Amino acid sequence: MPLYDSASSSAGSCSGSSSSSSSSKPPPPPPLQQDIDGLLAVAGYKIRSSELRQVAQRLERLETAMGNSPADFSQLASDAILYNPSDLAAWVDSLLSEFAQPPTCSSEFIPGPVNNGSTTAESHTPPVQQNITYEQRTLDNQLTVVTATEEDSGIRLVHMLMTCAECVQRGDFSLASSLINDMQGLLARVNTVCGIGKVAGHFIDALSRRIFRGIGGGSVGGGGYAFESEILYHHFYEACPYLKFAHFTANQAILEAFDGHDCVHVVDFNLMHGLQWPALIQALALRPGGPPLLRLTGIGPPSPDGRDSLREIGLRLAELARSVNVRFAFRGVAASRLEDVKPWMLQVNPKEAVAVNSIMQLHRLLGPDPIRNSPIETVLNWIKDLNPKILTVVEQEANHNQPSFLDRFTEALYYYSTMFDSLEACRVQPEKALAEIYIQKEIGNVVSCEGSARVERHEPLAKWRRRLSGAGFRPLALGSNAFKQASMLLTLFSAEGYSVEETEGCLTLGWHSRPLIAASAWQAVAEAGSSAACVG
Amino acid sequence: MARSNEVNLNECKMVVPLNTWVLISNFKLAYNLLRRPDGTFNRHLAEFLDRKVPANANPVDGVFSFDVLIDRGTSLLCRIYRPATAEEPQPNVAELEKPVAAEVVPVIIFFHGGSFAHSSANSAIYDTLCRRLVGLCKAVVVSVNYRRAPENRYPCAYDDGWTALKWVNSRPWLQSQKDSKVHIYLAGDSSGGNIAHHVALRAIDSGIDVLGNILLNPMFGGQERTESEQRLDGKYFVTLRDRDWYWRAYLPEGEDRDHHACNPFGPNGRSLEGINFPKSLVVVAGFDLIQDWQLAYVDGLKKAGQEVKLLYMEQATIGFYLLPNNNHFHTVMDEISKFV
Repeated sequence: MPLYDSASSSAGSCSGSSSSSSSSKPPPPPPLQQDIDGLLAVAGYKIRSSELRQVAQRLERLETAMGNSPADFSQLASDAILYNPSDLAAWVDSLLSEFAQPPTCSSEFIPGPVNNGSTTAESHTPPVQQNITYEQRTLDNQLTVVTATEEDSGIRLVHMLMTCAECVQRGDFSLASSLINDMQGLLARVNTVCGIGKVAGHFIDALSRRIFRGIGGGSVGGGGYAFESEILYHHFYEACPYLKFAHFTANQAILEAFDGHDCVHVVDFNLMHGLQWPALIQALALRPGGPPLLRLTGIGPPSPDGRDSLREIGLRLAELARSVNVRFAFRGVAASRLEDVKPWMLQVNPKEAVAVNSIMQLHRLLGPDPIRNSPIETVLNWIKDLNPKILTVVEQEANHNQPSFLDRFTEALYYYSTMFDSLEACRVQPEKALAEIYIQKEIGNVVSCEGSARVERHEPLAKWRRRLSGAGFRPLALGSNAFKQASMLLTLFSAEGYSVEETEGCLTLGWHSRPLIAASAWQAVAEAGSSAACVG
Repeated sequence: MARSNEVNLNECKMVVPLNTWVLISNFKLAYNLLRRPDGTFNRHLAEFLDRKVPANANPVDGVFSFDVLIDRGTSLLCRIYRPATAEEPQPNVAELEKPVAAEVVPVIIFFHGGSFAHSSANSAIYDTLCRRLVGLCKAVVVSVNYRRAPENRYPCAYDDGWTALKWVNSRPWLQSQKDSKVHIYLAGDSSGGNIAHHVALRAIDSGIDVLGNILLNPMFGGQERTESEQRLDGKYFVTLRDRDWYWRAYLPEGEDRDHHACNPFGPNGRSLEGINFPKSLVVVAGFDLIQDWQLAYVDGLKKAGQEVKLLYMEQATIGFYLLPNNNHFHTVMDEISKFV
């Protein structure tokens, strides 16, 4: 099935481009950015015209130095950690300074993600292969062959879905419902085991829920939701690499941020089963100079059945920490919504180095109206007040929060069909089936919910960049070592077709060149006093 | 040694605009970091450093793009660029493969450069170039994300090119109204130019018509050290040593540069006399150290009675076609639009 890219905003180098549906020209850049060399910007490099000469000179110096000691240069290539190649001036400078001072230690690593919450300590070898419960996909020809007529039906389905969504947007529900009937008929003729048929089925369901049951939320929400969603999350974690990538990349950045600190505190915005933390605990255990005291505050929904599930997870993590001699303390904060959390609940100690970790949580704070003191602003403000060493943010790389329903629908159709496509590579059941249900619920929320019920308000990286910068955070670039390890992780755990990309200091994971999830790291802009930057 | 380096750098800076110099020097620097003396390649760092752009179904300057997986077995992706039509300024998802409207629509299959090892179809510089070609030639451009060396040696890149050619030829939506056939041109720069030649060769006995080849600074070579290689070694961004490295990385192990992939009119080449080979437009830069091989290629085509036009840009260095800030760029773009 062909992959289409829907209305995504244009390349990151173009500032101020809107993500609206019209192909409008981007607004003129602010005066400072007009000095940016336009031709190099299009090639992916940000550099001011006034700096060109200087950068040219430094390139020459590098070249001469390289000619004089080629051995050092190739050492540089394998050892140095490089950041943000788009910022050409800074990049050339960092190479020059690396060259002047050879790196003192090889880049750190983190043990790869593990399949269950507790493991025994591992020796410091590269990501381990024990505990893998599914085999890698081999390039095989067991994939279903799509016949020409099926492909045609698939395209017709897509066409009808778009038309139906347009009817819904217009309010023409009678036409929309007859289209639903037609599509369900067509679906019978299409292979729904894989490809467009499977995804289309979910979108037809979501549309019909929207039409027939109204936009109150359908099956989303309700008492058993939290428990069910944890199980689905766990299987989504196992079936495809998106969450592993998120955890892995965030952990790498957190580890670097905690360098040199003896008391560290991680605040996790969504603990789930605590899948992210064993790897960090182990990495801290292996830190040269010994592990710090680690506090973990895990936020999660209250358990419906009276169990203190947060505490249970904390206990398991504590056991692991004890087994690797890391002093560890856990605290659970139960809150049904992130915006209900108040900073005093986290009990952050001013002497600690704090890391705030948000894996696909911030978008839930984007309320239905852009009101003043919206939840996102409130939360970002108190994060800033905690003065964390690092804020790690992972979000779906999608534009699912546009005002126009049709635009959202189109974008979601493309995004989720790509994600489903990537899931084809997973051969393990029931992981795959449950992962699909996990994704299906997301689709349901994006398509059939509105107002406060619609929580899956994904926004693309460019928007998050603007939002976080505007809220007083500056980006911490994720470097070439994080990139390399993420790439290696993929080869170990996943099928071919996934790709990691670096874009202006952030890393994205995508399927066949379409980024699906983006990881970035931030730090509050310091007021008075210095905070140890962890770049370079 | 340092002194002659300085002279080289200064000379080189005189002939290109400053931003071009910075761009190409930066590539040179990055590429030096990536090639290891033992013949291996630092692929992770290469992907980290490569500036990429996503496809964009929203037209920008009248061109929109989308990616298609054309072969699952090899994960072969192509990026397709199409002109946005006046009536449908913004195509929706179902209409990306709408049939082409005009009597005659050229379809240019483009192979990006990178000496077989670097770059991708979604590299920013090549995304830009392909978009330009759409407007210039009123064409659909299909940019092939072929497998690269040294992980994938000869003939992988040619195989992928051939797969793409077959795929393009069999798309009903790419057929021109006039004769219900797909009007195919092959184009590429550096290694992409080499690939275009070899894919055209493979097409000869296949029944697929290639209407023309466009080769921009195509990458050819041979065992012999030619005059231009000796004269220009290290002077304009490129060294013989790096050229040798890339050939060692692409050609089958143990083969030398007289292998027909590298030297199509050399001792191991195939004669093109009497063969129905497409007409060729070959652009050679006057400061490219491998120009003697490129000129020999043009001669080889002529001697075999094939139609070929040579554009020799005296004052041009490699990569001049990446930024539209020089006369060579505009001259070449004009010629390309006339050729197609």
